[in-house]
Amino acid sequence: MTGRIIEFAVIGASLATTLMAGSLAAETHKEYRFNVGPRAGVSVNNPYGSISVKPSTGNVVVVNAVLSSDKVEVDNNVTGNRVEVVSHLLPGADARSGSIEYEILIPADASVTLHSSTGALHVEKLRGDVTLEGAGATVDVRDITNAHVHIKTLNGPVTVTNVQDGHVEVDSLSGKVTLNQVTGPLVQVISTSGGINYTGDFGDRGEYRLTSHSGDIEAIVPDTTSADVSARSVRGEVHDDIHLQPRQHVPYVLEKGSAFWGTMGRAAVSSTVVLRSFSGKIHLSKRSAK
Amino acid sequence: MTCVELQESLAENEKANNAAQRAHLKDCPHCSALVAELLVIACAAGELRAANEPSARVWNSIEIALRKEGLIRPQRAGRSLLPALSSGWGRWLIPVAAGLLVTAGILVRQHLPSRQVANNEYTASSASTGVESEAAVAGLNDDDLIQEIAQQSPALQAQYTENLRHVNQYILDAKSSIAADPNDEDAHRSLMEAYQQKSMLFELALDRSLP
Repeated sequence: MTGRIIEFAVIGASLATTLMAGSLAAETHKEYRFNVGPRAGVSVNNPYGSISVKPSTGNVVVVNAVLSSDKVEVDNNVTGNRVEVVSHLLPGADARSGSIEYEILIPADASVTLHSSTGALHVEKLRGDVTLEGAGATVDVRDITNAHVHIKTLNGPVTVTNVQDGHVEVDSLSGKVTLNQVTGPLVQVISTSGGINYTGDFGDRGEYRLTSHSGDIEAIVPDTTSADVSARSVRGEVHDDIHLQPRQHVPYVLEKGSAFWGTMGRAAVSSTVVLRSFSGKIHLSKRSAK
Repeated sequence: MTCVELQESLAENEKANNAAQRAHLKDCPHCSALVAELLVIACAAGELRAANEPSARVWNSIEIALRKEGLIRPQRAGRSLLPALSSGWGRWLIPVAAGLLVTAGILVRQHLPSRQVANNEYTASSASTGVESEAAVAGLNDDDLIQEIAQQSPALQAQYTENLRHVNQYILDAKSSIAADPNDEDAHRSLMEAYQQKSMLFELALDRSLP
């Protein structure tokens, strides 16, 4: 009996090793390097798989790709100061066999455009414009300075962290949108049914507009925030836990529980914040001290 | 079909739904984004309020400028196509004819479906009617989109159908808000944002990132 168990264990281990070796053998690693000038443009279209973009040193774009099978190949094209990378699905490819995982290094001042249907999109520490599009892609953007960020998703969740001094525009039909320490001259989030969470101080002198048709909107701000805040929900509840100086003349009726409009902090140096929902809840609250 | 040919063909078929157009849009993200934007503009244009019509002074200024350019010339005396109407009982014929035409126009309009009347009839209760209302909202061809998704990516069909339902509800709710208060700027902006979301839905569906 003991011998039989050992026999089965050996056969099982051999089978597992063979399968693992087979899958590893199917994976292919490729690396591409492109020299570019200042403010280059980089575009990546990857239907299946993740794309991660980080800054490189020097004016070089480095593309590391892990191809899951021979049913997909990497096509690349350089036109002037623009690099285009496309995952080319071959006949018979599906979400598993057509997947490529990209890790890309680009100059910090380069602008990047990423398209993916399902994979995670990650961008960090850049100073160039960032444009991300994906139906179900999970989007994570962080540490971007003085650049525009444009994000479009169908239902993929979006997280934007520490993005300052640029325009941030997020359009997500049903994905949850989370903004942490996002400030700039324009910050706009539009969602149909996704929720929106904002944590931060709304900077100064910027325009912030968070709109969701049926999703909830939550804004958590510190005591030091200076902002003119208006909130309105047609059918949902509106709450503010912060003492706002009420605005005197407003274009619509401020029905308690459905709308508020007031100023917090210093009115002379403040951002304009607009929170709108049709049937979702809106909640403005103060960040608790640690 | 090239991009130039597609853009020229939009003059005949602005919905870009014939086979050649669809085949090109499948592979060309630039043209697919253009078509999605044109559809949104075409639908949103109908929502422009009458208050956006320029004042009479603007039209007068335009007329003066056109006359200066020589594009409008005064009619020369004695060359009227209707010389008999320049005197006697003929002088009264034109205003009478104009009045009859206006009256006929009013009578015809009363019997035709009015877009403005239809907009004012959008209420919260009508916003909850079934598939037909949703499909007709914004005029964008929802059935074509779902059919395209079903052919390209059947696994995503349920997601796109659900999101399409939500965004059509968004549009209907925004229209009902406008109907309740036509001067509500927030409601007008909501309608534009709703169309923008729907345009994005179409764009994502037609985008090259769709496997």
